[in-house]
Amino acid sequence: MSFAQGGRPRSAGSRPSETPPSQGLSIPSVTTGLVLLLVALALLSLVIGTGESPATRAWDFLLGDPAARADARIRLAVMDVRLPRTLAALLVGTCLGAAGCLLQAATRNPLAETGLLGVNSGAALAVVLGLTFFGADSPGTLLVWALVGGMAASAVVLLLAGSGRTAGSPLRLVLAGSALGATFHGCTSYVLLGTQSTFDTYRYWTIGSLAGVETSDLVPLLPLVALGLLTALGCARPLAALGLGDDGARSLGHHPGRIRLVVAGAVSLLAGCGVAVAGPVAFLGLLAPYAARALTGPRMTAQLVLSALIAADLMILADILARVVIRPWETPVSVLLAFVGGPLLVWIARSSRLSTAGAGA
Amino acid sequence: MRRTAGEKAPRSGPTEVTPPDSTVLRRGTFSWLLPRRSALAAAVLLPVVAVLIALAVMASSTGMSLSESLSGLIGTGDPGTVMIVRDFRLPRVLTGLLVGAALGIAGCLTQTLAGNRLATPDLVGVNDGATAAVVAAAAGSSTGMVGNWWLGPAGAVAAAVIVVLCAGGAGSAGYRVLVTGIGVSTFLGAVGDLIMSRENDNTAGGVFLWAVGSLNGRDWGVGTPLALVLLGLVPLALAVGHRLQILRFDDDVAASLGVDLRRLRASALALAVALAGTAVGVGGPIAFVALAAPILARRMSGPTRVPVTGSALTGAALIAAADALGRVTAPVELPVGVVTSVLGGPFLLWVLFRPDRATGKA
Repeated sequence: MSFAQGGRPRSAGSRPSETPPSQGLSIPSVTTGLVLLLVALALLSLVIGTGESPATRAWDFLLGDPAARADARIRLAVMDVRLPRTLAALLVGTCLGAAGCLLQAATRNPLAETGLLGVNSGAALAVVLGLTFFGADSPGTLLVWALVGGMAASAVVLLLAGSGRTAGSPLRLVLAGSALGATFHGCTSYVLLGTQSTFDTYRYWTIGSLAGVETSDLVPLLPLVALGLLTALGCARPLAALGLGDDGARSLGHHPGRIRLVVAGAVSLLAGCGVAVAGPVAFLGLLAPYAARALTGPRMTAQLVLSALIAADLMILADILARVVIRPWETPVSVLLAFVGGPLLVWIARSSRLSTAGAGA
Repeated sequence: MRRTAGEKAPRSGPTEVTPPDSTVLRRGTFSWLLPRRSALAAAVLLPVVAVLIALAVMASSTGMSLSESLSGLIGTGDPGTVMIVRDFRLPRVLTGLLVGAALGIAGCLTQTLAGNRLATPDLVGVNDGATAAVVAAAAGSSTGMVGNWWLGPAGAVAAAVIVVLCAGGAGSAGYRVLVTGIGVSTFLGAVGDLIMSRENDNTAGGVFLWAVGSLNGRDWGVGTPLALVLLGLVPLALAVGHRLQILRFDDDVAASLGVDLRRLRASALALAVALAGTAVGVGGPIAFVALAAPILARRMSGPTRVPVTGSALTGAALIAAADALGRVTAPVELPVGVVTSVLGGPFLLWVLFRPDRATGKA
């Protein structure tokens, strides 16, 4: 496991040479399986939904059947409603999965989730401020508010974590993030207690949904996501070195504090985009890295890729369920993530030998 | 951390070793190890808490002078003042102190258990369990009012029981329970969200107010049971906290010293759940105290201790101060949960990251 470190010597086997406890599955085959699942789910997501367009007709549309292609209703359902949602679920899942994996490795804390850097609470505060004082109401406007708020909040956290004599230590990151996150959260509550009308809209924003997402809202996020993911992949090796403990990483020529701050920046970008699109669904960023670690063991790059894939799979699955559980109404996607992911996390916790970690933060 | 040599080393023989941060107190055949730094911290904290009680009793938006409040407290003032102070303010202040102490101890136990500062009792499902119970009750009632105070603790304990059953054992360092707790509490939180999303806005507003954490209108009827629970649990927590110091070592070392780690972990978790559950039931899920109080207390008592007393005092001080502040910020009274989270964060960072002292691995 990648978290074993010198804070507390452990007897549990955490030798890097150890084979991961996957049940006779190699990482390439698991990855292939997850990618195939993702494709299947994405197709399902395009053909399943509410409304007057049966799944078989939508399927014909995808296969290019001329009669289905000519049907305006089917075109609307597939191209204008379901395609943006599917892309959004892919984007959010990938972002949160990668961000959670990075953050848990950088802080050496398996309890860290993507909201830790203040992204969620900052986004929520910005949304509430936008609703209350600036009359923001459309999903597209709220998305911008959430994105800017999340980024600004995490920038403050990073400035704080990157200053002082212990700049970039995991402890500084964790404490700065949770402390300022609490502050933003308190400010949000304060504003909400005073304004009933904001509270109603905020209630629905905070439980998260992909309904009403437009493709045009997603496009501006793509450069940010790409930057975040590239930084993440570039950081995989240095992060793996951090798994040896700070002194070990230094002896390999790395700067632990600097690595952590760069990684935290990438996490903010990714988590900020994810939260802006889907609302504060922090849980996914905790669950996916856990599942990935149970499959890969300490290999950082594999962890990162699998974590992103698992999260994307779960997000699309949750969004499909959100449409069909209580037809014709939408169920909040965060609720379904919890219903699917909660038991999954419990099952992983029971079945894998959980590494003991986080003595340092 | 500076290690001061124990200058009052016992003269009974070269084999006896006093820990460097402790002093031996002897009286005849009895001896007691006094941890100097922790004792000093407690000695500083107690008067702080006392002053806070006085200020909190005084603090209000009606503007009562210190002498008036005190005469009300002793019972020599005019009947109106006596009633306000004794029947409304004093129980609320004391309830706040008890809630803070309970949260502080619970946080100290879970953080020590996991060796992880993010391991707060709410990870074991107490907050979400309590909230889900309160939400379900509020949704069932026609008025949308938050029901009986015992609903919260009942929900918290039920959630914790579910977590422990699902986890099937504490796992190493209690991690299995914590991770299971995250899964279960997310699930419960979603149940609450689902119920709420189908409720009218009045109910939602009432539950939201509860979920922020407030001591408004808490009187003797709530304070007395809470005090009794704490009286029973605090001595146990002190004993368990003392034993938890062994966790600084490897599990094998602990086992070779004859400590039954499984039982120790289980009892520490059970205590944390009982304390946090009761506190959440009374005051709502007040944010941040269970996280910050043990960190601040550890900062005072030094890294080698499990600061149960310090966490209790720090938690009590945080909540009393926050509640008093929330009452004087006219025009509207701020719920204590808002104040703890808005001001608690910067306060914690200021204490930990003051530029003149580098934080060690406290």
